Amino acid sequence: MHPPAHPFAQDVAHCSDHCGEQPTVWDLPNVPPALKREWLSLETRRHFLARGANALSWAGLASLLGGGASRALASTPAPGALRLPHQAPKAKRAIYLFQAGSPSQFETWDYKPALQDMFDKDLPESVRGGQVLTGMTASQARFPIAPSIYKFAQHGHSGHWMSELFPYTARIADDLCILKSVHTEAINHEPAILQITTGNMFPGRPSIGSWLSYGLGAVNEELPAFVVMTSKMPHRTNVQALSNRLWSSGFLSPEHAAVALRAGNDPVLHLGNPPGIDGDVRRAMIDGVNELNRQLFERVGDPETNARIAQYEMAFRMQTSVPELTDFSNEPQSTWDLYGPKAKEPGTFAYNCLMARRLAERGVRFTQIFLRSWDQHTNLPRNIKLMAEESDQPSYALVTDLKRRGLLDETLVIWGGEFGRTCYSQGVLSRENYGRDHHPRCFSMWMAGGGVRPGISYGETDDFSYNIVKDPVHIRDLHATMLHLFGLDHAKFSHKFQGLDQRLTGVLPAQVIDAILA
Amino acid sequence: MTNSRPPSPSRALAAAVLLVTAGLVRAETSFYQARVAPILDRHCVSCHGPEKQKAKLRLDSFEAVMRGAESGVMVKPGDPRGSELFRRITLPASDEEVMPTDGKPLLSRDEIRIIELWIAGGASASKVVADFPGAPLLSRFKPAEPERAPDWRPRAAEIAALEARFHVRLVPRSQVPTDGLVLRTASSPGRCDDAVLTGLAPIAPLIVEAELARTRITDAGLAAVSGWENLRSIDLTRTAVTAAGVSALSGLKALEVVNLTDTGVDDSGVAPLRALPALRRLWLHGTRVSSGDSGGG
Repeated sequence: MHPPAHPFAQDVAHCSDHCGEQPTVWDLPNVPPALKREWLSLETRRHFLARGANALSWAGLASLLGGGASRALASTPAPGALRLPHQAPKAKRAIYLFQAGSPSQFETWDYKPALQDMFDKDLPESVRGGQVLTGMTASQARFPIAPSIYKFAQHGHSGHWMSELFPYTARIADDLCILKSVHTEAINHEPAILQITTGNMFPGRPSIGSWLSYGLGAVNEELPAFVVMTSKMPHRTNVQALSNRLWSSGFLSPEHAAVALRAGNDPVLHLGNPPGIDGDVRRAMIDGVNELNRQLFERVGDPETNARIAQYEMAFRMQTSVPELTDFSNEPQSTWDLYGPKAKEPGTFAYNCLMARRLAERGVRFTQIFLRSWDQHTNLPRNIKLMAEESDQPSYALVTDLKRRGLLDETLVIWGGEFGRTCYSQGVLSRENYGRDHHPRCFSMWMAGGGVRPGISYGETDDFSYNIVKDPVHIRDLHATMLHLFGLDHAKFSHKFQGLDQRLTGVLPAQVIDAILA
Repeated sequence: MTNSRPPSPSRALAAAVLLVTAGLVRAETSFYQARVAPILDRHCVSCHGPEKQKAKLRLDSFEAVMRGAESGVMVKPGDPRGSELFRRITLPASDEEVMPTDGKPLLSRDEIRIIELWIAGGASASKVVADFPGAPLLSRFKPAEPERAPDWRPRAAEIAALEARFHVRLVPRSQVPTDGLVLRTASSPGRCDDAVLTGLAPIAPLIVEAELARTRITDAGLAAVSGWENLRSIDLTRTAVTAAGVSALSGLKALEVVNLTDTGVDDSGVAPLRALPALRRLWLHGTRVSSGDSGGG
């Protein structure tokens, strides 16, 4: 933790913890005492109200806590209490292969042959339509069109046009539903990534996996319902920071946040018992801490105390479940052949994809893998090739592996970034080199399995992949469709917070995309 | 779960202003038939239709809607706010004039917006869906699926007792109580053995999916499963079952999906499964079955 710049910043940074040991509002300088009193009375009221809202869950918990059982869920409805899903699900799990930084659609899935004859011509103003550009290209004197230097070919019975950068993914063409008309409002990475991971450009909202954990609970209670992994990068250019607000539980109880698995021998920090401490001692310690936390809850009534109890319990269960999960020694040679040699190196995208399959086998609801460094403003031809090489085989291997094990039907796999890129070159355009700026108006993603119709493409862009000409898919529509596959009606699946029925899809219109449902 | 209070007129107007290009639409059907009539059918016609005509109003045809009630017209073309129909459906739930009345569910935001757009657009019988870009789609009316299993709710206490006794979960597939239960063992597969499957016999007709991957069940457990008449899907990945055991499943007429990944099952075990009348998927990766990659159709 960095030292807080503002006195309130410390409170904010510790809001998921308890404030008893922290400086209180009385310690703040230059605040009139009357205001402090008002603040504290509001605080008390907030706690009281939150406690009232959870009284019912507590009643349910009391029945769960037979004898020495110590599972605490007071800030979460008891399993099944939400009576979800609304309808029988198609997908039981999802694996989101997040390509952070945003792969260009021109070198991946949106084939634009007409651009080949327009090399270095100016982008017609009628196409751009006065759109405000980012500061990175707004000052360019011209917007010269940059066709893809990579070739495309059709693959499979589906006839998907796919770039030569993805020879492995081309083999699973008939399993893929390629969306070519996804769009967003965000034009910079952080708001764009937040919007696609949480449904809102502003931090503080629950991410998709947190909503699923909240609504559907865990299939395997020995593991978190929501797991995140970040991947080593084959090169580093314009790397975006990733932070846990992308996988936070927002206003949902903290136990719905993702557990981030680290690469290497210690996938969850501080999970192992130190020398001399055995499981029984650890159990007794946690029981004692939980009892203290229960007393704290009785006294203060902050529902997050119960989230803390639940997290201790999850950590205890993970002491057993995580070593088994991360022990790849029983994987046969065929696994390494499929995922490629990098899968043996912890932290690579290939390793993480294999881990995602193991998580899916064990029932983890939502696994999100981040692969960064797709942000190719310059030197795109060279760098996108490095990234494609990192992403291609493992993505193919994961889909193939899930399919042959009978898991793909109920596992939704998603591949994509946070926005698109421009058809014109950022910086100098040559026959061999160019860059592409951010472009929110259209981008491509693919999905497979989990009740999505395989072998189709949905949506169309114009010849410049600048504007959508058919079947736009807003991120809200994407989220509504994902929830639908899990049997959840996005319009009804809500959580009351700050006086509103908050939803992943927000309040603007969102549609399940019927045409891509299997 | 969501609070379906109708929006205030000003909010509805703001929402209308905010409309973005949503669903692309097919051009043939009239907007009234495609969007408006289904809403009236759903919420209004039981009291204002062929059976009852409260206030001498019928809302079961375009002509009747435009004719109005004994007290006057319900719809003023072009003027939602001046239309009694729109006023009634946008009143607060506590207002005694709100429609539908008697505590029936109020119209959703999207339904209200559809009516508003239709009246604002002239309350036309002939305008087509494409004339209302940005109009919300109606939530899909799906034909009810056939019952998969008996209603589990009367057995809730028994189900909870079995869950506690056998350390398994018996989870409803959905809010539809006849969608059946999923037998879930992922939290502790090592504790699920043949005795569990035998012990679940009393509620077996409720189970439609059996997630048994990595459990300790054997052929003896499958003999118990042979009586689970409503079972649609069974996952036996990495269990000790053999060809002899899985043949016990050959009488399960509802069985659609069988996963035998990484089991010792061979050709002799698979032949009777292929004859199952409802089978769609048979997963055989990692077995000794000669046509090992069968995914089924």
